[in-house]
Amino acid sequence: MRRSANWRSLRERGHPGRRVRLRLVVACVATAAVAGPLLWYWQASRLPSTYAVTDHGYADAGGATHNQAAHAHVGHSGRSVDALTADPARPPDVALTLTARQERFALASGRKVRGYTLNGQSPGPVIRATAGQLVQVTLINESVPDGVALHWHGVDVPNAADGVAGVTQDAVGLGRTHTYRFVVDPGTYWYHSHQVSHAQVVGGMLGALVVSPDPADTLALVHVYDGIRTVNGQEGDVRVPAAPGQRVRVRIVNTDNGRMSAWVSGAPFTLVAIDGTDVHGPTEVRDVAVPVTAGARADLSISMPADGGGVRVHLGGSAALLLGAGAPAVPKPAAELDPLGYGTPAALAFDPERADRRFEYDIGRRPGFLDGKPGLWWSINGHLYPDVPMFTVAEGDVVRMRIANHSGEAHPMHLHGHHALVLSRDGRSATGSPWWVDSLDVGNGESYDIAFVADNPGIWMDHCHNLPHAGEGLTAHLMYEGVTTPYTVGGRAGNEPE
Amino acid sequence: MRTAYRVLAYIIAAEVVIQAMAMVYAVAGLGKWIEDGGVLDKAVMDSDTTPFDEVVGFAIHGINGMMVIPLLALVFLIVSFFARIRGGVKWAGLVLLLVVLQIVLGISGHSVPFLGALHGLNALLLFSAAVYAARRERTITGTPTAVGEHRVPTTA
Repeated sequence: MRRSANWRSLRERGHPGRRVRLRLVVACVATAAVAGPLLWYWQASRLPSTYAVTDHGYADAGGATHNQAAHAHVGHSGRSVDALTADPARPPDVALTLTARQERFALASGRKVRGYTLNGQSPGPVIRATAGQLVQVTLINESVPDGVALHWHGVDVPNAADGVAGVTQDAVGLGRTHTYRFVVDPGTYWYHSHQVSHAQVVGGMLGALVVSPDPADTLALVHVYDGIRTVNGQEGDVRVPAAPGQRVRVRIVNTDNGRMSAWVSGAPFTLVAIDGTDVHGPTEVRDVAVPVTAGARADLSISMPADGGGVRVHLGGSAALLLGAGAPAVPKPAAELDPLGYGTPAALAFDPERADRRFEYDIGRRPGFLDGKPGLWWSINGHLYPDVPMFTVAEGDVVRMRIANHSGEAHPMHLHGHHALVLSRDGRSATGSPWWVDSLDVGNGESYDIAFVADNPGIWMDHCHNLPHAGEGLTAHLMYEGVTTPYTVGGRAGNEPE
Repeated sequence: MRTAYRVLAYIIAAEVVIQAMAMVYAVAGLGKWIEDGGVLDKAVMDSDTTPFDEVVGFAIHGINGMMVIPLLALVFLIVSFFARIRGGVKWAGLVLLLVVLQIVLGISGHSVPFLGALHGLNALLLFSAAVYAARRERTITGTPTAVGEHRVPTTA
């Protein structure tokens, strides 16, 4: 090393006092060289206590030409997310009140856990409605000190009802209420807190929303409480009566942070819906596992054997539904059902090839500081939160997005307020039914091309539904030109969407 | 500063030992939990719950490895600038380098398990480097004018 050689020559030639001083200076400079940049990055990463999500990061117009963008901008004079509501004059078809509490409570299985309840239970009440009905939910916060907000996962609600604290509303503080109003499409959905979500969702602030004319459908809302996997709050094998020859529709909801596999023994089945959208021309399959992404839903249709045999629907490693007489447990099949090639193609209402905007959502991981905290954080297009893209669109745009993941872990990506069509994975085009998702598992090393129509103005989160990951910076937003929000992260309401 | 250098080097070596112990403690607890009927899948792994007590070993390993040890290695390097130990900066730099490599291997091991094996190997290198740095200071106690100074520097 040259430096130690220099020191030696200094020692041999120089005055001892000067030598010591010089050495001290060199040491100080070296310290500054090591610690200085770290301190600077640390300081620069700290977030203000209050900020609007629209003020952070950088606008990404997705390659829209200047003209287009300018034109769209002139068309609006700043609509607030508060104004984006369902018809206020229309009376609700389904109205209910949900009272949120933080408490120790008993699951349906009898096990006592500490967490969050809605109307004294977790999972919260199943909300049932039929297509086209207006659902009105009044949320009351009785005893959750951090505040609450309810997000309607998979429902393309008007933006004001999206339930994201700090973006579409303030967290509902102790003793306060908030009303959500939205019209529903058929399908299986769920609701959960979007205030301090990583803690409140794990703790049970969630429930199912089923839009179906048939109240006999079987719901299988899967959630891990205290390390125990449950189905509708029940543990282990959950029995559901079913007659021989009967067709049973099982609506699976994965409320956890990781992907779950579902598989069936005792009968073949069809995957009839994904994320609330019917699969076109699904075929009967057996001995395959159905991947259910975190936050996603999968509806299975199973014909009970005519000979009186039972069926077991495995839900992850430890929980199962036993239909009729049930069937013995079998290991997870090696083969997985791939929605990319399942079902038959159908005509689309838009042309994904004529996209107005093209975005990249590139997920990586790198060392750095997140709000002053050192660590290895998720990056979006190479940047750490909050220096992330704000995907900007105009109403009516056809939007394409490529989500690529090389971060070392899988990410279940969830876009609020829209359903996106999966076009291809790793360059391989979809060949089956149109595959519409609101929650898409992007594995490490995978890339997906998706497309959607920007038909629901607002400011929408587009984030990882492994909720701790969202808190670790894997959060971006889709913003419509001209839409503004009066809400801020932090602030007096203590908004903390993740 | 020389004492600080030596103490920090030994603390880093001890931290490596704690890391190995915490990991085996957690894995052993996991094995026992599964033997007793526990079921591990992604949902349980990703939930912030503690289905068995020894899971604390994973938390210790993570916090130690991602926060405490890098900070110690950084302070170690800074102390080495002032400690006036021949080759001291070099060895502190090597320790920091091995710590960085260790984190990279540990994280990469989640997607490429073989790199996890190298994570185990690198732990021993890091331990050895830290102990060597600590003991090296003890063997060279001379003042800047000591005889040893005139030998060819041991730098590469």
